[in-house]
Amino acid sequence: MTFDFLEMVLFAILAIAIVGAGAAVVLVGRITSAALFMAFTFLCMAGMFLLLGAETIAAFQVLIYVGAITVLILYGVMFTPQGSRDYGLFFQKQTPWAIVFVAFLAVPVMVFASSFQDGRPLARGGDLVPLATSLFGDFAYPFEVASVLLLAALVGAIVLVKRDDEEIR
Amino acid sequence: MPIGPFGIDPGIWAPLRLLLAVALTLFLVLNGALLMIYLERKIQAIIQDRTGPHHVGPFGLLQTFADAIKLLSKEDVRPKATDKAFFLMAPMIVFSPMVASFVVLPFAPDFVGADLNIGLLYLTTLGSMAVLGIVIAGWASNNKYSLIGGLRSAGQLISYEVPQILSLVTVVLVVGSLSMVDITRSQAGPFVNFLVLPFAFVGYFIAALAETNRTPFDLPEAESELVAGYLTEYSGMRWGTFLALTEYGEVTVVCSIMTTLWFGGWQGPGVDALPALGIVWFTLKVYVFVLAFMWVRATLPRMRIDQLMDFCWKVLIPMALVNILATAVLLLAFPGNLWPIAIVNWALVAALVFALPALQRRRLRTFRERARLSAA
Repeated sequence: MTFDFLEMVLFAILAIAIVGAGAAVVLVGRITSAALFMAFTFLCMAGMFLLLGAETIAAFQVLIYVGAITVLILYGVMFTPQGSRDYGLFFQKQTPWAIVFVAFLAVPVMVFASSFQDGRPLARGGDLVPLATSLFGDFAYPFEVASVLLLAALVGAIVLVKRDDEEIR
Repeated sequence: MPIGPFGIDPGIWAPLRLLLAVALTLFLVLNGALLMIYLERKIQAIIQDRTGPHHVGPFGLLQTFADAIKLLSKEDVRPKATDKAFFLMAPMIVFSPMVASFVVLPFAPDFVGADLNIGLLYLTTLGSMAVLGIVIAGWASNNKYSLIGGLRSAGQLISYEVPQILSLVTVVLVVGSLSMVDITRSQAGPFVNFLVLPFAFVGYFIAALAETNRTPFDLPEAESELVAGYLTEYSGMRWGTFLALTEYGEVTVVCSIMTTLWFGGWQGPGVDALPALGIVWFTLKVYVFVLAFMWVRATLPRMRIDQLMDFCWKVLIPMALVNILATAVLLLAFPGNLWPIAIVNWALVAALVFALPALQRRRLRTFRERARLSAA
């Protein structure tokens, strides 16, 4: 008795969950539910990475996307006034246009995705050493540039929220 | 037919092993929570010069069992205005990552669920997932105290995750591995990582107190200002899962991380001859930290939210960054020699110990100044 079929079953479950939750993010009315469905999509993506043998990327996926970004989005949602819904309705009423655009985009994406016919097994991504050498060796320059970009964003955020009034601190 | 461990077919052993591991973990979590609640009550009682629970069973040992039965048999109350799905889901989102953390804890040689080569990263990942559940709990309760408690908690947990991970990074730099088993094996003998990296330990200890929502950082559930924070609308076993099981389970997990990273995990006298002794050493070391957590809880008052954030962003994170920089540079400058790192780390501990009262004095001075100005 072997459990080789489990990988296929897990893949099917995760794929259905990703597509379903992704659709739910767009379709559900309440924005908090949408944020949570997004977190669920991220979790299932982490599961996909696990199936591909990339544990490190799966861990970072959960750490950054579920643990940090979703929480920040929830924060943003809770600080946003929920009274007026005209803005949301404007986008939600464009269904025919959305179908046209999706169909237009879907064809090249499908063609591109079906072009991956390489049968060779990929290098397992669970090992940290190749990841670290490529990040801090081969791609050190873009990595550092990205960190400078984040620093600029951080300084900008501080300038934006800084108050001139000394009393409010 | 191939014979696996205990004479069982490997094909059957694999799922059986999974079931056994899950059962063992749940057993550990549930009973650990009962034991730790009893310990917490007893130790606080001793420190506050009371007797603590003593009616049910010998020394009141069965008090928490009685409480657990009470919680389980309570009516399942869900306020009408709450959001049903999220209200029911939130305790599960908080509880399951904590249970999953037990997979990588090395209790003894060859007694570990899975020796992942990213074990430490896996633990921090699961730790960060609890925030989501707490925010959802606060939001779904439809109660302003719950909402404020949940948002505060998210802010606190995200802030304190930074010094926590920075402290772990220094240990990883020195040991050169993220696997919990490798980190334990690197500390054979009496020279454990604590002697080399005391500042990383102190930083992690403080951040862990905040991460598990315990005094002096239990602002999310500050009863004097927020009723019970995000727990306000919860009752019965849902409350029990949230507060009792998850909080004490997380305390066990962070104490196990401290034991493994800084105090040699299962290593101790006699382990080489009898590997099962490792479980005893590991448990003893973990419970020393659990007792320290309880001691802190009985001793220190709660901090205010701005003090909490000030301390994290202005003291802990800069010092942890300096620590990482110094450790990395010294590791490259003196390969194989840990003395310079140890000296820098002990100096940082001294700096922290002396900087805190100075900061407090400066703070008091500004407050007095402001009070005088407003009075004038």
